[in-house]
Amino acid sequence: MELTDLILAPVVLPLIGASLAFCAKAFHKNDKAWKLESFAAAIGLGLPLLLLVYLFQFVNLGQSIQVSIGRWPGNIGILYRFDGIAWLVSLLGFTVGSAAWVYSQGSGPKGPGFTTTFLIQTASMAAAAMTVDLFNLFVCLEVMGLASYILVASSEKPGAYLASFSYLMISATAMVFFLIGLLGFYKLTGSLSYEGISSVLDSLPQKGGTMATASLALIVAAVAIRVAIMPLYGWLPDAHALAPHSISAVLSGVLIKAPLFALTRLLIVMPGGGDVGRLLSYTGAITALAGVIIALSQKDTKQLLAYHSISQIGYVVCAWGAAIAAGITTPAGIALFSASFLHALYHALFKGLLFLTVGTTTDLAGERNVYKLRNAALSLHKAGEKVPITFLCFLTAAFAITAIPPFNGYASKAALSYTLKGSWQGLFLYAASLGTVASFIKLSRIYLPDKKSISPSTGMNMPLGKIKKTAQFSQLFLALMCIISGIAALPMSRLVLRLLGEVESDSLPPYLFSVENYTKTGLVVLGGILLYFLISTKSGKKVLQLIRNRPKMFHGNFVALSLGMAFLFYWIKLSN
Amino acid sequence: MTSGQKNFFLAFQTILILCSVVLVLVPVFLSTHPWPTLARDFLENNGFNNTGAQNQVSAIYLGYRAYDTLGETIVLLLAVSGTIGIISKSGISLARGYGETMSEFSESKSTLLRTDLIDVVTGKLGPIVLLFGLYVMLFGHISPGGGFQGGVVIASGIVFMALGSKSGASTRLEEAKVLAKIESVCFLLLILTSLAGIPMGMGYFSNPMRVDPSFQVIYIIILNSIIGLKVGAGIGYMCVAMLGKG
Repeated sequence: MELTDLILAPVVLPLIGASLAFCAKAFHKNDKAWKLESFAAAIGLGLPLLLLVYLFQFVNLGQSIQVSIGRWPGNIGILYRFDGIAWLVSLLGFTVGSAAWVYSQGSGPKGPGFTTTFLIQTASMAAAAMTVDLFNLFVCLEVMGLASYILVASSEKPGAYLASFSYLMISATAMVFFLIGLLGFYKLTGSLSYEGISSVLDSLPQKGGTMATASLALIVAAVAIRVAIMPLYGWLPDAHALAPHSISAVLSGVLIKAPLFALTRLLIVMPGGGDVGRLLSYTGAITALAGVIIALSQKDTKQLLAYHSISQIGYVVCAWGAAIAAGITTPAGIALFSASFLHALYHALFKGLLFLTVGTTTDLAGERNVYKLRNAALSLHKAGEKVPITFLCFLTAAFAITAIPPFNGYASKAALSYTLKGSWQGLFLYAASLGTVASFIKLSRIYLPDKKSISPSTGMNMPLGKIKKTAQFSQLFLALMCIISGIAALPMSRLVLRLLGEVESDSLPPYLFSVENYTKTGLVVLGGILLYFLISTKSGKKVLQLIRNRPKMFHGNFVALSLGMAFLFYWIKLSN
Repeated sequence: MTSGQKNFFLAFQTILILCSVVLVLVPVFLSTHPWPTLARDFLENNGFNNTGAQNQVSAIYLGYRAYDTLGETIVLLLAVSGTIGIISKSGISLARGYGETMSEFSESKSTLLRTDLIDVVTGKLGPIVLLFGLYVMLFGHISPGGGFQGGVVIASGIVFMALGSKSGASTRLEEAKVLAKIESVCFLLLILTSLAGIPMGMGYFSNPMRVDPSFQVIYIIILNSIIGLKVGAGIGYMCVAMLGKG
């Protein structure tokens, strides 16, 4: 076994696991099936994690290992590249994926069919992080998408099929545009690998001209749908809110980021990539603010979290786009890039944890409405949780997302504001963090006892089931990761910096845990509390209601996609 | 909003979508840039020697880009298992969503529209169609066809046999369970075949028979057969389940 085979293991091992789980579904029942299924999950989720630890020594040296699958010549075969980006994205995916799988074993959905789909989704995520071939990226996105539609629908909630359907429709449409863009690049260059395309484009007059610009716009818009940047976000809230909790954790934590980092590889070599990065950075800042405002207005707990995912991905995209625009080989660019990655990684941990804890709580309390559900801590206690693990885990995640030290969100948001210092995007993100604090005060109230005494006849405190050990275990695991990665933020950010590039730079202020930074955090929290009181007033509630009941239409997704695509096209064209 | 306003708004949106899509697509479709010849010439000169397949399509999808084919096979697998999963559960969930009971849904299931004529014809045609499917699948490397095409023909053969089984055909190919087993074993085999080159030190998804040029086409035939059986069993399984036989 050679190194070039080993680096494909994060893709191949989950596929082996998936095929075993699929056999378990066809051949065995009950206990036997479960044993084979768990074995498959160990191969598909556990083994890759061990392998990533082994592979660390290579990426740590700054090595980038390239392999042509099937050993065909590079201009016709499929090229994969394993480097810092691939290692980090895989680490993120397998960590959150494993925790979510363990959670689902107790709280559903479970069964070999679920494990098969889940493992295939994980494999496609790892593949998207490694591929440097445009057609293979298309295949990865298709597999990833199809697996998610099925997993979203598997929650069997009444709206889940519709959510899955609109997700399917909009991404299938986007993938057609992706294919047309691919055709454009192929016709111009006769190549499918990123390097091949960009090197031929550089030799063409005007670097391919309008056709190259249009193709790039088509491809970027199609990928941006998966990342859910602001005008293209319409499918996400329902899909993430109605999916089973473990799937919501993976969708929000991992699957909206994998396409973004896959796009990085394309944009850094393409002519016009920097302009795309700049536009996406602007949209990212707007997304962060708009997402949190809509989140603030939500009634449903998981809808609220889903809009927060949009807002947080806005943070990530904002720094990421600025990094692409600055060029990720410059010190400023690499600092921005690593800050964005740090936030992506940390967001995966705390958002995964939020979905799991809030999901557990609302399931056991039998109520999802933020305004109605109260005293959830008592419901959890009645469901057999003597030590309030779920509540404490929720607090950890809520402190992390609102950037309270020493939890991990504090570090990654400090990195973002440090690297984006002085730009108007930084101000937008600052305003968005006020909204984050306010909305989490709103969400945390579900655990507080109600002022009015509740009569037992309302049934509100009757637990609907027992708390599952697996749920507690995976929540604890993610909470620990949130705390550890928060305390070890400085070495962590240096690690990310080293893995992403060899340029000397800094993405975090040297004194992260300093009085100056604490004061800043304190001000944000104070502002957030003020904002919370503002929205609790009568007129504040009216505004929120207006935002919540804004018209939402299925075909709005398509309007947003086509307008966004045309805008992107002209943006790149006019920037040149 | 009145319905007139609604229609106007809808028409406005449609025009907006069409205009912006056309604006972006026109440069791609109207380009006069000549088609690239590099890959085409490469295939013409090396396709047969590298893979042993006379059919250049096979040389691409099971040779140079076999890994993409694995991805597309997985897409099909997910589509089939997802469809069956949704069909088998959707009745209950839909009923819950609309506040109706299950019995109203099961009543709407149509009675079987089957005549003796269909029974006899499909029952007799089934084996022939299956045989043709096997041919398309096994000869994909020299003639038009291949695993995916052969698989779909096999699936139609299975559907024919399932339709005609009332008149006493003795086959288990129409049983959903058997088909599911075939599909899962084929998927496992496909993954194992993709790994076959690794012990020989030739890398993932490489042709382990490449050492001898006269044997290397065997790998293509094996891949074609596995994909054909998998596709046939998968689509056949879905159709049989939809016929209400699962």
